Amino acid sequence: MASLRDIKRRIKSVRNTSQITKAMQMVASAKMRRAQELALKGRTYMSALANVLKHLQDTLTEGISSPLMEMREKGKKLIIVVSTDRGLCGGLNANLFKEILTRCDADADYLTVGVKLNAQLARCGRNLVASFTIGDTVEEAELKPIFQFVRKGFTDGTYNRVEVIYQKFINVMVQRPDVMALLPLSTEDILKVAQQDDVEDDTNPNYLLEPSPKALLDSILPLFLGHQLVQMILEGKASEQSARMVAMKAATENAKTLIGELTLEYNKARQTQITNELLEITTAMKAME
Amino acid sequence: MALHLKIITPMRTAVDADVSSVLVPSVQGEMEVLPGHADIIVALDNGELIYRPVEGAQQSVFVGGGFLQVSSDLMMLVTDTVLEADEIDTNSVEEAIARAQESFRNQSSVLSREEQTHLAAGIARQLAMLEYRRKKHL
Repeated sequence: MASLRDIKRRIKSVRNTSQITKAMQMVASAKMRRAQELALKGRTYMSALANVLKHLQDTLTEGISSPLMEMREKGKKLIIVVSTDRGLCGGLNANLFKEILTRCDADADYLTVGVKLNAQLARCGRNLVASFTIGDTVEEAELKPIFQFVRKGFTDGTYNRVEVIYQKFINVMVQRPDVMALLPLSTEDILKVAQQDDVEDDTNPNYLLEPSPKALLDSILPLFLGHQLVQMILEGKASEQSARMVAMKAATENAKTLIGELTLEYNKARQTQITNELLEITTAMKAME
Repeated sequence: MALHLKIITPMRTAVDADVSSVLVPSVQGEMEVLPGHADIIVALDNGELIYRPVEGAQQSVFVGGGFLQVSSDLMMLVTDTVLEADEIDTNSVEEAIARAQESFRNQSSVLSREEQTHLAAGIARQLAMLEYRRKKHL
């Protein structure tokens, strides 16, 4: 049986840990609220944009062509992995990594947003070409290099397909890994985004287009693309913060139970000690009589 | 019969109201949309958007580009920036313009064409913001 002092020391260390996890839980829940709000608001915007784009496509009968929609045989596949920069968020990254192993090709190039999975990817022999870190606020300046990399890679023919794998935010308890094709932009993908929100669905192919179909398309496609990537990063952030909050809450609760158990043990040990001392005293008294 | 106007930005749904008319800054000039307008998709320029709610006084906001889709009296405006006149801080906008012009002058040789266009678009937007604010307050 552990001595009284040992137990006391353990209680103290567990209590310190629980204070840290409690603080992290608070921080994560504050950040979560913000990230969640951004992700949900972004969804409305995305589906509105997709809706406009879909109508634009319906109206363009001759078929639209843009370098960003080009299907090519040659070239490699680029996979953008949206993970986190820090750990302590439960099984979030582990689940994402499992998904990568089952759903993503081994010979593709990988680009990571968040450094947490870099080592694991490298260990599995995946080709990591670039890694970026994005702060909690998701600033435009931080995103620009990613964009330039992706667009350049796609337009100069290095890559013929760009996919993003990220943790889709369902609710605070549930985040699901999801794979989304980013480039080339296809009609089905746009439709999928457009229908995500409850925007009315009509297929009127008779929109007037101003200033010209080509000009509209040239300005709306890069915008759509950019916001789609931003949206997935925002979802990833919301998932990260929620997962961290839940994990830290569980940790705090575990620490509380542990403290309870240890306190019980401590009290028992103390009682035993007192009983023993009393026994010794009475025995001594008996012997002296 | 009324139009329904929805202005959606990445951060919020800025306007969601029944309106009787909307004046938008399209890239080809100002355009007014009244109930019963033909279905249309328009690219927008930086500028002032004026809408008249069914009840209440005429309202105005600054929009920074984007797209407008009118389909059977539902107007959906998708844009990056929507600002009320008092949300524009003249000093910080002027600073931003000065900064952008500075980098234009000093680094125009090293900037790629794409970056130059981006900078120029930013300056144009900020100038439009200033003009909008002056118009509202003078």
